Amino acid sequence: MSQEVAQIGRPRRLAIDVLAVANLVGTLAKYLGIVTVFPIALALYYGDPVWPYIVTGLGTSGAGYGVERLTAGARSQLGVREGFLVVSAMLLTTAAFASLPYLFAGGEQLDHPIDAYLEGMSAVTTTGASVVTDYDAFSPTLAMWRQFTQWLGGLGIIILAVAILPRLRVGGRQMMESELPGPEIAALGERIRELARVLWAFYIAMTVVLTVLLASLGWLGIDDEMTPYQALAHAFATMPTGGFSPKADSLQGFSAETQWIIALFMFLAGMNFVLLFRGTVRRRPRLFVRDEEFRLYALLVLVASAALLVQIWGYGIAEGEEAVRTAVFQAISIITTTGFATTDFALWPVISLLTLFALMFSGGSAGSTTGSIKVIRHLLLGKVLRRELDQTVSPEVVMPIRYNGASVDERTLRAIAAFILLYVGFWAVGASVIAIDSAISNVPLSPLDTLAVAASALGNGGPGFGITGPFGSFAPLGDVSKITMIVLMWLGRLEIIPVFVLATRHYWRL
Amino acid sequence: MRVFLIGAGQVGSTIVEALHEEHELTVLDTEASRLQAFSSRYDVAVYEGDGTSRKDLAAAGVEHADLVIACTSRDEVNLVAGMFARREAEGATTVIRTSSTEYVELWREGQLDVDFVVSSELETAHAISRILGVPAARQTDVFAEGQVQVGEFDVDRDASPQVLGVPLRDAPIPGDSKVAAIIRGEDTILPGGDDEIRDGDRIVVIGSPGAVKSWSTLLWPEGGAVRDVVIYGAGRVGSAIARVLIAQGISVRMIEASREQALRAAEALPKARVFHASGFDADFLERERIGQAQAGIFAMRDDAKNQYAASLAQVRGIPFTVAIAHEAVSVGAFDRAGIDVSINPRAVTAEEIVRFAHDPRTQQVAMIEGNRYEVLDVTTRESSRYIGMAFRDMPVHGSIIGAIVRNGGAIFPHGDDVLQAGDRVIIFTEAANAPWVVEAL
Repeated sequence: MSQEVAQIGRPRRLAIDVLAVANLVGTLAKYLGIVTVFPIALALYYGDPVWPYIVTGLGTSGAGYGVERLTAGARSQLGVREGFLVVSAMLLTTAAFASLPYLFAGGEQLDHPIDAYLEGMSAVTTTGASVVTDYDAFSPTLAMWRQFTQWLGGLGIIILAVAILPRLRVGGRQMMESELPGPEIAALGERIRELARVLWAFYIAMTVVLTVLLASLGWLGIDDEMTPYQALAHAFATMPTGGFSPKADSLQGFSAETQWIIALFMFLAGMNFVLLFRGTVRRRPRLFVRDEEFRLYALLVLVASAALLVQIWGYGIAEGEEAVRTAVFQAISIITTTGFATTDFALWPVISLLTLFALMFSGGSAGSTTGSIKVIRHLLLGKVLRRELDQTVSPEVVMPIRYNGASVDERTLRAIAAFILLYVGFWAVGASVIAIDSAISNVPLSPLDTLAVAASALGNGGPGFGITGPFGSFAPLGDVSKITMIVLMWLGRLEIIPVFVLATRHYWRL
Repeated sequence: MRVFLIGAGQVGSTIVEALHEEHELTVLDTEASRLQAFSSRYDVAVYEGDGTSRKDLAAAGVEHADLVIACTSRDEVNLVAGMFARREAEGATTVIRTSSTEYVELWREGQLDVDFVVSSELETAHAISRILGVPAARQTDVFAEGQVQVGEFDVDRDASPQVLGVPLRDAPIPGDSKVAAIIRGEDTILPGGDDEIRDGDRIVVIGSPGAVKSWSTLLWPEGGAVRDVVIYGAGRVGSAIARVLIAQGISVRMIEASREQALRAAEALPKARVFHASGFDADFLERERIGQAQAGIFAMRDDAKNQYAASLAQVRGIPFTVAIAHEAVSVGAFDRAGIDVSINPRAVTAEEIVRFAHDPRTQQVAMIEGNRYEVLDVTTRESSRYIGMAFRDMPVHGSIIGAIVRNGGAIFPHGDDVLQAGDRVIIFTEAANAPWVVEAL
């Protein structure tokens, strides 16, 4: 009796359990620190300083452990509401974790916290935008750390945690759906733990295959530049469609064979991993033909490649196999939001820049490691618009939107429309802020460059145009622009809504 | 034959009406009042009990049955009753009625432990698709795997003058067909070459599907092949009809007043254009040019609405209307209202089920004019006295042979043809004569 009275007497103002969120983020950070064993081993091998990685690992694990202990009493059940905060906070934490070694070992070009954090955020969101100007200043370990963190962020820390940590068996689905790119078309059929494991196993397997393929090009003497180190580094950046390269000129220095293989794997990484898994490992190749999103994705790659081919051959930028290769590579690289370059496309004519710019809004398939809007949302939005036209003429007609044969829930369709509006909105606001900041701090960005930088950051693409082109750097941008980019990358990786709900009053208050 | 019937609803009573004279019937139902009505009208044994109770089934004596028919309006009851009957009466044939096409599929795959499954919706849909193929017909049935078709036509002024009032021997009648009967008021004429077809007659034609189609054109020269249909009502019946018609390449529009029903139909039938609207909304009908459809099918749940919507549609200009009459009495009312074809799903179902009660030699039976006439598909015996007889020499006994199926092919016999043992005979007969006909062949 007295207990009940006590409960009524204490009003709860918060609608979410912040302590429980902190507790889970602490636990995740504690385990995240462990992955520094990889750079530590690498540093020992190359004779680089080991301490930055030890400090990073111990610091992250220690801080995580501390938070976990402090909030141990609040280990209540995490609900859907808390999930958004966990996912959003965890990405900020992981970005911080990824940026620590830059502060310790990055030298002058990364010693500013904003620069280091941008580089870290760019890595874990698989964006590939970089403030680095002097690639030679990097030790092999730090350069590989850059690649490695990108690879970690590709499929997502939460999905990895769901696969490994028993604690996330309950309540993990919501967080996983937030982190897995693409709209929630159907409730994931499999048990999430199973799915998370399959996804990660497949992701690792693909990375291994690509590394071996690239390395064998080096061994066979086809590409002298392709050392095992470069093979691993580029596999780390290809599978998450990240786009970092330890080389200042991205993939330009590599042979045609290397570029073709990377193009193929970027294309694969832009496919739905569940579909890819079922079609290849489960040997049901027909699924590819039947999948509407894959068909549109493949068509888009084809059309975009053809358009670029006509342009660059027409302008005499390249011809023959080189023109085909450049066009296909660049189309796939931008559509999948990877951001690799085999040539400095920032120097291309305006029409090609506009083509690439438009492709920045495409993205790959749902359930891939790509960013941006994603093909499936374009597909479904197109169907909704077509229905809208039909219903203008015949208001009574009932037309469920179908995707791969099944009809799609109206709520999902609304969510997709809302997402695209928010996406365009954040892109416009971001571009405006960058434009104003650049004008104030005299950064030479053209209007198209400004728009491209914002689109590229929000879409987790990577390079922009002008001075921020593939062989350029984001270093000259002002601090406000850099912070804007960090926010855009953060929003883009989580597909806006899980972050943006945090800005609503009713998320926090009852 | 001992027939055990579970369910004394409309389907049940139609079956009883068709079978009570020749067979021993037992009827089981949960409602005493319905059973009372039954036992006072027909000489059948009635039991009050639950078809899903094995005890009740046993008490009613199901184990003595040769044929068990579960035809209540509820699928689950029919399924359970059918399966229990299977256990209790081992030699019996079990037939269950269902309204779910899913159960029909399951049965075809051999997953349901009953002998036959009959779906009202599917039978109705097939009946409608046959009618659309022969738009002048009131009713059509197919026999012998679709090789022989029976059509019932109303003759009116629209009919071609080539056949109207011309003796049959001189009229340009399609070769593979035969006029089995001319129904003129109360009289039935089994026609010879001298008889003629008049305005106001109702005729029964037996022939190849092509010939029956030609008859349709003769009797209604303007009625071409139907390619564009509007279905009012997207419930189970409407959806089943739509599915069958779409499979034949006919374009289907559906009008449904309930949003959920409309959505469900639109999801299940991607090729149909489904409208969430009232079929009585003049603006809507005008905007969507509903009047330009070649045929309207009225499959709403309410007979009165079907009739009104059909009349409205006729006013709009739909030339051919088919309405579902859920109540048997509505058929007459629909006729009066000028609806071209009325279909009672329960009668169609009953007709399908009644087939199982016939002699094993009798493959299929169609009922015409309610129960006045039947068309039978009978395999002739060696011992029949008609074997070896030319058709011109056969006596007329209120029945007429329309077609024979020999070695898998259909023959539309002329006077010189001779009946052989093992022939399947498609024969039109007065219902009262049916047992005699089966006996004689």
